[in-house]
Amino acid sequence: MVTRRVAEALLRAAARRWPVALRDDLRREWTAELHVLAEAGQRVRMLRFAASLATSRAAAPLVDRTVWRRQVRRTAAALLLAPPACVAIVAVALFAMATVHGALELRFGWAQRLQLPLFSMLCAGLGVLLAVVVARAARHAVRVGPPATAVGVGLAVAITVVPAEVALLDDARQLARVLPGVLVWLAGLTLALWAAATLARRGRLRLAWTVGVLAAFAAADVAVVATVVAAIPPIDPGQPVTELPPDGVDRISAPLWLLTCWTDWSFGFPRPTDWERFLITDLVLVEPNFYLACTPYALTWAIRTARAEPAAPATTAQAMA
Amino acid sequence: MRMTIPVAKVLAALLAEPDAARYGLDLMKATGLPSGTLYPVLHRLQDAGWLDADWEEVDPATAGRPARRYYRLTAEGVTAARQALAELRALTPKAGPALGGPAGAPAW
Repeated sequence: MVTRRVAEALLRAAARRWPVALRDDLRREWTAELHVLAEAGQRVRMLRFAASLATSRAAAPLVDRTVWRRQVRRTAAALLLAPPACVAIVAVALFAMATVHGALELRFGWAQRLQLPLFSMLCAGLGVLLAVVVARAARHAVRVGPPATAVGVGLAVAITVVPAEVALLDDARQLARVLPGVLVWLAGLTLALWAAATLARRGRLRLAWTVGVLAAFAAADVAVVATVVAAIPPIDPGQPVTELPPDGVDRISAPLWLLTCWTDWSFGFPRPTDWERFLITDLVLVEPNFYLACTPYALTWAIRTARAEPAAPATTAQAMA
Repeated sequence: MRMTIPVAKVLAALLAEPDAARYGLDLMKATGLPSGTLYPVLHRLQDAGWLDADWEEVDPATAGRPARRYYRLTAEGVTAARQALAELRALTPKAGPALGGPAGAPAW
């Protein structure tokens, strides 16, 4: 057991001497070989295997600086342009929704109920299209570790969405009600991307997508719940009954609030009621759909850049062996 | 591709069975090279497009061990390796045994 731990520590040290893009695969490969030796009880060979890797010269690829600069430019362009594209998607979807609703509202009674689902579908559809474009850009991106990838995407979204919220909500009180929820979402999204990128780097692509989508959904849901809970009081059972429904939202339906924001529907449950849905969507109308527009590209970027293929051709150092 | 003795040893071992998938430990055994020499050579051959690396398709939970990475010469690699070794052999006709191929087999 001690021998194996020592050997594993040596392998970790050896991997650190290789380029970042290769480290995870190499460590995985060496660990598998170490396992074979351990199963055979060849402790000395285990140590020799690991020590030789830890003390020998690594094959450092010398990346062409022109290629590297081009990669950096492409990475920066993709990371910085995608979030404003998401803002544009939300704006286009809002405009399209308003146009369609304007054309239908006088002829069809259900046109009112169509607004939010249409808005959400447009945001999701355009968000997926953006993800397809971003997936192409990700093939030529600079590869860094999962934490840096996640934080990079999170920061790029933050420097777009926060000023956008400030511009959209010029009322400071309204901004104070909404911004904490957005920050919660950003933190949750960053964690989701981190998890997805880590799994993708280990070759678990399907799991990376599953975990990424679920975690991003949870982040958006928590963000909406946090915003609503902080801004709208719960229903007070002792409140005197008036003709108007109380300006409160029962917390029992909290997990549904994100879906309610996207669909304007309670999925057959008694809560949220029509009035509660109105209060929720009046408070957070745009943000849930911004989350919907952003998530596909963010996940795509994190997973594609974390995958095992090298991002660009590299030439190996001449001094070898 | 700069031809060195370790590179030649690895190519010779791979050419012994060009279609076979070879793991790192197998190649260490076949060439007598330590891991610290072998893996940079394998990496260099991959960069040159002479070698393909793939992960073994095995469920770690079922197999009770992690998937291993195996190497196989590409079509281009087989041709280039044969040519490179032939040129090397022509230069040093008596150097073969000194490179230490597998027992009973030519060094490359």
